[in-house]
Amino acid sequence: MAVIHEVASGMGGIRTAGDLVARVQMSKAMKIKEAKKYVAEKLGVSVIDLSDSYLMKELREELDIGHVQVRDRASYGIEAKFNISKVLDIKINSVENFKRKVKMI
Amino acid sequence: MLIIEDAIKEAQEAIVKCDENKAVAIAKQAIDAGLDLVKLLNDGFSAGIRIVGDKFGRGEIFLPELILSAEVMKKVTEILETAIVSDSAKEKKAVILIATVEGDVHDIGKGIVVSLLKTQGFEVVDIGRDVPVDKIIEKAIEVNADIIGTSALLTTTLVEQQKLEEELRARGLRDRFKTIVGGAPCTERWAKKIGADAYGEDASDAVVKCLKLLEK
Amino acid sequence: MSKFFTRMGDGSAVFLSEAEIRRDLEEGMLDAADRGKIPELTDDEMERLYQIITDPQKTVSIERGNEVVMTFDAGTLKLPVRAGLPVDRMTTVLTHERVLCSDTMEIGNADYSYKQLKNIVHEEAASMEFTQLNCIIPVFYGAMPNMGLYTKPDGPVDNWSELLPMAKIGEARAAQEEAIEMAVKDMVYIASILYEAGADGINFDTVGASGDGDFLATLKAIEILKSKYPDMAIEVGMAGEFVLGMHGQLEYDGTRLAGLYPHEQVKVVEKAGGTIFGAVINTNSSKSLPWNLARAVTFSKACSEASNIPVHVNAGMGVGGIPLTNTSPTDATSRVSKSLIEIGKADGL
Repeated sequence: MAVIHEVASGMGGIRTAGDLVARVQMSKAMKIKEAKKYVAEKLGVSVIDLSDSYLMKELREELDIGHVQVRDRASYGIEAKFNISKVLDIKINSVENFKRKVKMI
Repeated sequence: MLIIEDAIKEAQEAIVKCDENKAVAIAKQAIDAGLDLVKLLNDGFSAGIRIVGDKFGRGEIFLPELILSAEVMKKVTEILETAIVSDSAKEKKAVILIATVEGDVHDIGKGIVVSLLKTQGFEVVDIGRDVPVDKIIEKAIEVNADIIGTSALLTTTLVEQQKLEEELRARGLRDRFKTIVGGAPCTERWAKKIGADAYGEDASDAVVKCLKLLEK
Repeated sequence: MSKFFTRMGDGSAVFLSEAEIRRDLEEGMLDAADRGKIPELTDDEMERLYQIITDPQKTVSIERGNEVVMTFDAGTLKLPVRAGLPVDRMTTVLTHERVLCSDTMEIGNADYSYKQLKNIVHEEAASMEFTQLNCIIPVFYGAMPNMGLYTKPDGPVDNWSELLPMAKIGEARAAQEEAIEMAVKDMVYIASILYEAGADGINFDTVGASGDGDFLATLKAIEILKSKYPDMAIEVGMAGEFVLGMHGQLEYDGTRLAGLYPHEQVKVVEKAGGTIFGAVINTNSSKSLPWNLARAVTFSKACSEASNIPVHVNAGMGVGGIPLTNTSPTDATSRVSKSLIEIGKADGL
């Protein structure tokens, strides 16, 4: 069922900007249009580009915010989330936890 | 002088508003006035209960009000029945045995069905949740049930309803009871597939179907 | 007269004529408008729904640019538990992230109720910590308030499902009020530990399953959690389309909870501090897909228009117009998906 919804109407998770828009919805309780606009502005792309896997692959690799394909030396997991936090200018709970644990803050 | 049309209207209102004093007063006035009490019971008080059931299904009134209306109904039925000469209106109440199937501990929906069935005058024997098929059949024989109703909330426990049908057939008891099934994953198609006599989409529908089963 | 292939609410195939489909769409829409006392869909929207239902393509989809994000209840129950795959929960989250491309995910225990988690909450927290180190997508922790578990024989409180049919209304109400406080305590305790372990959000799933007390307990828990953790994202997914009045008199901030429909439920969730609202519209398995879909879309649109927070309409088995079957057909699911978003104005599913 999840796959069908994804095909019919999903943003595409980390293939595109789905996780980023979801994060903004979650951290700012924003409706979908506002959340997409916020993310598009932070990434410097148009709203329609957010669901374009071709463009977003390049951009995600450039920003080093994680992508579906594993590449050596690319950020992964919590590392990618550090970068997402900066790019979107939002706090990410696990990133803040990590900082506390390694005495960064 | 009280006329039957006004009595019917007021009886409905008394039930919908759970107004016991008003309901009892109407019943007594109707007896004194020599009105058609069977008509008052059917078109007035019972119709009121049907309105209550419909409002409950729409989220307009809630379980406590539903129960209170049923209590008022019970009281006026007792008063009217003692005054009704005709035996036809004093039919024996149908007995329905109800249970949540073995392996399933969900009983909230079943409780609502029990409450609604009581509002319609059924004698309900609720034997709880997580009840094995053997016990359901044993108890149905003991209380001489007219209908056996089973609820299953899980797709994994739905199969118990099928087991009940098979067991009733194996024991030669299938024609002795009517059966009705319900619960979140249950459908009309499932009921037909396993050979149950009826399916209740929700609590209100379950009551309608039980009433229909009695007509058969 | 030609007939169109569509589905019944139980998922079975059915062929209906144009007149039958239009009649079902109209009746489903009017049923929602009447019950919820909400606006009817416009003629254009009804025509669009008709086009979506009768589209000859097996799978339909939204127009480019209308994509939404998805949240998942019972997230990690789906691969290792329901599908029986021998994978742990972190692998499940990563599979969703890197293969299925889900926007978010949720970790949950197989015994999916807050009350049941007290003995294993620290193991759950460790699991969340490991997962958060490895995943990129936001991960919720989710479970159900399931207030019924506080009643005998599962808990200490008298069982109101037994008391009510016996007309013991006062006792049933008192039992619910007692259970509310217990449920609030457990939800706050579990959610706090999981949030401190790094969860991106907490999901309260199937809220109201035990009636208006269940809903009130959740709202109270949200208030406490938001005052403790202002940044916590909280999703509230409902159990049914209207709040069942098991108590009947419970209020939140002056609003009686029993009988609230999605467009009213979302306002109290918003007031309590909820971040995402998971609206539920029940599917009637005996009615057709057109009837159920028009009904779901009417409720969804009213809910989304009333809401200032994002609305993720539940679109799983037996809700939101999705047929009541474990394996909902692709044709039906994709039609529901498209309609809820493009006409029902959902911010997510």
